[in-house]
Amino acid sequence: MIDLEAARYRWHPVASSTDLVPRHVFQAQLLGREMALWRADDGNVNAWENRCLHRGVRLSIGINDGRELVCQYHGWRYANRTAGCTYIPAHPADAPARTICNNTYPAVEKHGLIWSGEKPDGQIPSLDVLDTTSITPLRGVTINVPLENIALPLIDYYSSGQRGASGDSVVHYGADTPDPFLLILHAHGHLHTSANAQAVDTPTPDIAFFFQPLDAARTAVRGVLCGVDEHNIGSAALIALLKQHSFMLCRARDIIESGHRDKPVPTPWTPYIPKVSDRHASMPPLTSAGQQAKLRVRLSAIENLSPSVKTFRFQALNTQIESAAPSVLPVAQPGAHIDIHLPNGLVRQYSLINGPGQTDHYAIAVKRLDDSTGGSHALHDSLKVGDVLATSVPRNNFTLRRDAEHTHLIAGGIGLTPLLSMARALDHSNLPFTLHHFIATETDAINRAELENMSAAVHWHVGQDVQQTQDTLSALLDAPTEHHHVYICGPGAMLGFTRETAATRGWADESIHFEYFKNPDVVDDSSEFNVELARSGLSLQVPAGKSLLSVLREHNVGVQSSCEQGACGTCRVEVLEGEPDHQDVYLSDTEKAQGNCLMSCVSRARSKRLVLDL
Amino acid sequence: MTQCSDPVALALWHPIAAIEDIPADGKQKTQLLGEVLHYRKMDDTRVSVHHGDRKLPVTLAYGYVWTCLGTPERDLFDLPEYAESDRRNVCAATVGVNVSAPRAVENFLDMGHFPFVHTGILGAEPHTEVREYQVNVDTERDEILATECLFYQPQAAAGSSGGVMSDYIYRVPHPYCAVLYKSCPTDESRLDVIALFLQSVDEENIRAHALVSVIDTQSSDLDIRMFQQNIFSQDKPILENQLPKRLPLDPRAETPIRADKSAIAYRRWLRTKGLQYGVLAAAA
Amino acid sequence: MIILYDYELSGNCYKVRLLLSMLNVSYEKKAIEFYPAAEHKTDAFLSINALGQLPVIQTGDLTINDSHAILVYLARQYDKSDTWFPISDPVRLAQVTQWMCFADSLTSSASSARLVNGFFYDLDGEACRQEAHRLFRIFDEHLWFNEREDHLWVVPGKTPTIADLACFAYVVLSEEGGISRMDYPAIRRWTDRVKRLAGFVVMPGVFPAGPGPVHVLPANDTFPSAGTAEA
Repeated sequence: MIDLEAARYRWHPVASSTDLVPRHVFQAQLLGREMALWRADDGNVNAWENRCLHRGVRLSIGINDGRELVCQYHGWRYANRTAGCTYIPAHPADAPARTICNNTYPAVEKHGLIWSGEKPDGQIPSLDVLDTTSITPLRGVTINVPLENIALPLIDYYSSGQRGASGDSVVHYGADTPDPFLLILHAHGHLHTSANAQAVDTPTPDIAFFFQPLDAARTAVRGVLCGVDEHNIGSAALIALLKQHSFMLCRARDIIESGHRDKPVPTPWTPYIPKVSDRHASMPPLTSAGQQAKLRVRLSAIENLSPSVKTFRFQALNTQIESAAPSVLPVAQPGAHIDIHLPNGLVRQYSLINGPGQTDHYAIAVKRLDDSTGGSHALHDSLKVGDVLATSVPRNNFTLRRDAEHTHLIAGGIGLTPLLSMARALDHSNLPFTLHHFIATETDAINRAELENMSAAVHWHVGQDVQQTQDTLSALLDAPTEHHHVYICGPGAMLGFTRETAATRGWADESIHFEYFKNPDVVDDSSEFNVELARSGLSLQVPAGKSLLSVLREHNVGVQSSCEQGACGTCRVEVLEGEPDHQDVYLSDTEKAQGNCLMSCVSRARSKRLVLDL
Repeated sequence: MTQCSDPVALALWHPIAAIEDIPADGKQKTQLLGEVLHYRKMDDTRVSVHHGDRKLPVTLAYGYVWTCLGTPERDLFDLPEYAESDRRNVCAATVGVNVSAPRAVENFLDMGHFPFVHTGILGAEPHTEVREYQVNVDTERDEILATECLFYQPQAAAGSSGGVMSDYIYRVPHPYCAVLYKSCPTDESRLDVIALFLQSVDEENIRAHALVSVIDTQSSDLDIRMFQQNIFSQDKPILENQLPKRLPLDPRAETPIRADKSAIAYRRWLRTKGLQYGVLAAAA
Repeated sequence: MIILYDYELSGNCYKVRLLLSMLNVSYEKKAIEFYPAAEHKTDAFLSINALGQLPVIQTGDLTINDSHAILVYLARQYDKSDTWFPISDPVRLAQVTQWMCFADSLTSSASSARLVNGFFYDLDGEACRQEAHRLFRIFDEHLWFNEREDHLWVVPGKTPTIADLACFAYVVLSEEGGISRMDYPAIRRWTDRVKRLAGFVVMPGVFPAGPGPVHVLPANDTFPSAGTAEA
């Protein structure tokens, strides 16, 4: 018996590098645990628990779309690298809790193989005793015999002298087993191979066989040939060599299996599958407040997109995310933003422009504004590559539904940023959409080449005055169409007009989605009122001149916030009794009229008293 | 084969065969809860079931033979629609699936998979939303009821173009059986019934039996059977790829969403009953 | 019009539906309930095919039974590209025939195991599975070496043949017979490729593949993006 516990701390081969072809999901097994291995289009190799977190369906029957892995059962999407769930089709209007993350395992490519393990803490086995100038992986072969019963009969088979394919030369091997998982065969003599009837003599390479413990009763043998100069011997001879070795290994397998036929079947290994966190074990409420966690990121690149717009790219320094490999950023969905804590003390919100699967960084695009309250200046003028900043985890109050028959994206100026990540997601999934970008001058058309390459119709409306813009918007919103959804981001006036027009024309509130840069209205904080917190049993007084949010904070009632001006939707609180005085621009008119929630940063009470679900 | 020691499962009525599928003469063999059973048609209204030498209780209901390996605690649940004179009652399919019965019940209650697994029939992308619905446990009848279920169906009836929102009601009157009521395309005042009766061959293998009871003068029995066999066969590879095969009752084993309300109620109901066969118990 | 006597859940019928779809030939289905009614053993059906086997096609006065014979007929009759059944190339023709025979041995092993598990046939399921695994090992090795020479299909060459469809059906349904394909990575990759052929259709029990790679990027390259933001 192998030492199962020790084996959990080792690196094991789980596939050949060539097994992971693009857009394929490889079904692997190690120590009784199944893994889904897949290579994203950016080359990254993912090794995940072969089990969707939702209902336990194998992910190896799912779809690798190049950037995300999609479960066949309910279409849940999991991002490259982080394994974070990015979309749950059953609830298209919700952003999945960003900590819904599949179990991941490390994956490294070496010796032409993919290596993984449960919690490997050592080195990948070295082949330094051999000629490693060139390593040629053999076809992996599964033997239905426990690992500890493989090495000796395999040595017997190889050391008894194997005939070449043409039968006129004999090779002898000397064996070396540094540990139970590795067998090294030093070759003596020449292997004579023939390819295309043309005999070729090739030097007989040494072989290293790695033993991969699939489960208690089965072992994969992954051999590599060392020191074969593939270019020099030519492809025909190389294939003949590979065929010869595949033949030998299959013969050895048959001998080993038949010698083991009457042995008792060992008890299966049952791997421990980590439980989901308590937060995800119960059904989530209708709205979820998300989770607070600060990230430290390093500014890794700055680029000019236009004379006034720069992109900033951030990479992870460290994170506090559950069950993900180090230096992975929490996954973000299209429409998400992060708070950036700037060196001058300001906290500003910026939409992420990442496309699906671009999970190794956060990218934002920032326009330098003259009337900016200091955010864009700080970013444009004082930050440099290498600077370390604090950010929030991504929050998404501008969720992209993917159950629309058509999606209309309408951007004003730099308001394109959240819509850019949406366009990238829609385009990648071949979902139908149209993008309208209103810009002052041609130079404001950022990412034009990329957008023109998308399958969707993209329209740039350049230099339109207020009336022209309104005419264009009116034409776009002519009549509501069922199963169409509209997403707008831009200046306050443009959003206000669009919302009014849509409402007049009969568009349902739920079909119009918007995100403000900021609240254009002046907040009236002159009222006084009482709040009762139903769950914590507190009764608090909110005086004039102070926000509900700040009073809650003073009493250590945690409510997340981001923009703190009624624009972003983060500090939403459920109202159980009383009439809210809405002063935000985030909630729709219908939601405001229903009166069962408010934005605690700016909204107050019309009634004397509010009861909140806190 | 390990013997079933679960008193809850032993006291249940279990379906073993469609009455119409039993040949007029000869002893037939099947398996239930890991035990081999023999059964025989005596005449059109009587079937005998034996476990070794022991004669087992028998109920003939809803087109199927039901038996019990222990002492039945209660009568088989009611399905009054079956007796309505203008309905077509069709024993539509018996399919073997390598999964536990509770996993198959949960799949039957689930609407979210329609666009992905029953593509073009019961659902179609991009219409993937599962709207809020109601779930209640009827304590008097000891069954789960999910109501106000709405889901987009791409083609409600043959010949109709464009999708409609279909209404569904789900009932779980038995740990291994579930009943679906669905708006009838030809008569708005009536509901079509599709019932799933699961025979636990052992803890991880079932024979899934279906009863279709519809107001339908158009379709042939063959059409109805083929439709139901196809639906079951689309679910089969999903169910056979679920890990673990038994339904985990530990709330932290999987991640439910709001669309899974009925599944959450079902798991809780099974926990309360203390059912062990085909489930993985929650850690104490 | 071609009439196909068809059972939706039959792998042999699926082979024919696949080729009809890939060649874009219109046809009419006549459902024969193989299970549980065993309609293929009724007098009515035996008068069409005395062997009592599905599928059968009829067109005009012509009746053809046996899935592989039907594949040959359809390929010769409707394949304008002349690639599905390469009659002018003796080597490829022999290879196609060889792998069609191999596909028949899958019917008596992998398909039989599926009949035992799903349709309660009284056969030795364990023996069927063992035989299927023996065949899958050989098939996986064959496909692995084809991949080494950039041959994507069962028969070496640039285009798929009816041998791919003949082998595909009972390979892709093998798990229903309790035969995992985990140990056969080259087979799993080949099933992805078949699923991406133009005109591919699913049947109950078979999932579609997602879109294939548009182009292969060198390792560690970033995602393709025209925008300077990602440059």
